[in-house]
Amino acid sequence: MTENVKPVSRRKFLEALGIAGFSTAVAAALASPGIAHRVNAEETAEGNHRWVMVIDLSKCIGCQYCVYACRAVNDTAEDMLWNVYTPDRTVTGQIFHMTRPCLHCQDPPCADVCPVHATYQRGDGVVVMDYDRCIGCRYCMVACPYDARRFNYSPRSDVNPYQPEYGVAEIERRPRGVVEKCTFCVHRIDRGLEQGLMPGVDRSATPACVNICPVQARLFGDLNDPESEVAKLIASTPTFKLKEDLGTEPNVYYIPAEGMVIS
Amino acid sequence: MTGAVMKKLPWLDMPLGLKIWIGLLGILLVIGVVCGVVVFAKGLGVTGLSHQIPWGLWIALDLSAISLGAGAFVLSAVVYLLNIKRFEGVARIAVLGGFLGYSSAMLALALDIGRPDRFWHPLVYWNVHSVLWEITMCVVFYFTVLALEIAVVVLESDVVKARWAAAPKAAHQLHRFTPIFALIGLVLSLLHQSSLGATYGIIAARPLWYNPSLPVQFILSAVAGGLSATLLVTLVVSLLRGKYVVKPGVLRDLALIAGAALLFYLYLKVWNWAATNYYSSLPATEAGLELLYQTSPYGATFWWVEVLIGGILPAIIYMWRRLRENDWMLMLAAALTIVGVVMLRWNTTISGLVVPLDWSPGTAFLFPRLSYTPTLIEIGAFLGIIAYALLGLTLGVRYLPIYPAADSVPAEH
Repeated sequence: MTENVKPVSRRKFLEALGIAGFSTAVAAALASPGIAHRVNAEETAEGNHRWVMVIDLSKCIGCQYCVYACRAVNDTAEDMLWNVYTPDRTVTGQIFHMTRPCLHCQDPPCADVCPVHATYQRGDGVVVMDYDRCIGCRYCMVACPYDARRFNYSPRSDVNPYQPEYGVAEIERRPRGVVEKCTFCVHRIDRGLEQGLMPGVDRSATPACVNICPVQARLFGDLNDPESEVAKLIASTPTFKLKEDLGTEPNVYYIPAEGMVIS
Repeated sequence: MTGAVMKKLPWLDMPLGLKIWIGLLGILLVIGVVCGVVVFAKGLGVTGLSHQIPWGLWIALDLSAISLGAGAFVLSAVVYLLNIKRFEGVARIAVLGGFLGYSSAMLALALDIGRPDRFWHPLVYWNVHSVLWEITMCVVFYFTVLALEIAVVVLESDVVKARWAAAPKAAHQLHRFTPIFALIGLVLSLLHQSSLGATYGIIAARPLWYNPSLPVQFILSAVAGGLSATLLVTLVVSLLRGKYVVKPGVLRDLALIAGAALLFYLYLKVWNWAATNYYSSLPATEAGLELLYQTSPYGATFWWVEVLIGGILPAIIYMWRRLRENDWMLMLAAALTIVGVVMLRWNTTISGLVVPLDWSPGTAFLFPRLSYTPTLIEIGAFLGIIAYALLGLTLGVRYLPIYPAADSVPAEH
């Protein structure tokens, strides 16, 4: 026993412990994925895909089947549509039909502001929510530039008329108190890929709104695959995205309606 | 025998006016609790909020309560870090105000979030990129600091001393850490008081919000508002007790600091308006303002309430010596500042949201005009939370050693 070594006092020890704990917390905070929220697609479980949708306004006839199909598959309430329809006019007065799902921004403001990472962007570009983590603060609704988000103000008790009477909805109803949004039917994408199907080509792996469109005004596919239909279309046709000036870089491309002026 | 027992009940010692006041607050508190229970049972469907306007009265209450509690960090820093002991007499009331302000905000938030059972999620699931996460962490830590600071006062009170002999010693031990509390409080407050403005200022989607000066406007107005709240309560208590509970000179100096903060705030506010509205014209901002003026009173209340009544008027009273020397004028100025500070929070929250989001420029006219009116349930809960804060203030000032007796000077009302 070395008697002359001064033992560390309890106070010193606690101080050291405190400093160590604090610096660990800071290091963890800085290293956490929150800062680098745009993850490299190749390193993720979703593989090297980038799912995009093309909406051709020159083809759309305004039947709203995409709205109904979304309601049936995702079991959304009447006043909480994930996919909405608005009739609009061009500057020359021609009617065209505007529909909008969630745009699945590459730089999503909703995911940035979420205090608990309940909304996040997957490696394949799809912006999804963890309904079990959402605290219902609604900051994402405030931050979304496209009004794409809906909040479950009350518990759901409505009967969904678009739901077939046989079987069950593909997606469970969301509980009271959480925000919800369009998912690009991510359950179909994931299940399809597992079965070796290609979303956008094989119907059971493709979003419901795309499948149902009677005039094929909606297309879906992998922009990272140059041979995909969407990639070819985007390469060959002039397209625009909503509110590009905000830098959100949506993954939904619009083909302008006839007579539409794009500045 | 019964007389001796009854004398111990503090309720019976109260003057009639105070009994009526507490009774009134009690009624509001009960209303608030009932409304709160309804909200928890039925969900936020009972509010006037919608998918387009998801924030309303309770968010404005959160922001206002936190800003009016800002006196705590300012005066703690002045007294315990800068060591200007002259202001020690108002430090404790500021800390009590901070404690009540922050706890009120947390009560309102508990009602306002859709899943109050998950209130702890931000502490576990971090998104350091979210300004709201930063605010949550700061508020939680700062509330802990305020609780420790107020614990010193509670331990020194006669009520606790009579029951726990070691209380003064414990209070003394805790009091030794006050400068550390003041330092942590200063850092946390500088962060979250401004971040509350950033909550709106960083939202590029809303042209009426997107603005780097909002965080600074929020902290400057919070300093003015927090000091004004401290000043107002101290003057009201002095009036009720018929003597100054702190030296009148201290109050005049407090008014000067609040006035200076108010002037800085006004300077920034008016320049912000000039830069974003008058000298420049961004299409999105112009369209947003046009819709705002057409559909709501928020454009008018900006100039009349935020700038004139809640800004310029109290600033004049605070800075003009002759007016500042008059206690009634000082109370008026403090009350007006509070009105202005609260109005900034309310207008910011609602005005950015009532302008509908268009998907592409020029399509805002396609959407139904939005409006928001709080429901009775929302108002009831709102009043209940305010009653809680006022009740805490009343009982705190009466039963805790908030105003040190040594500073008392006969009043000249």
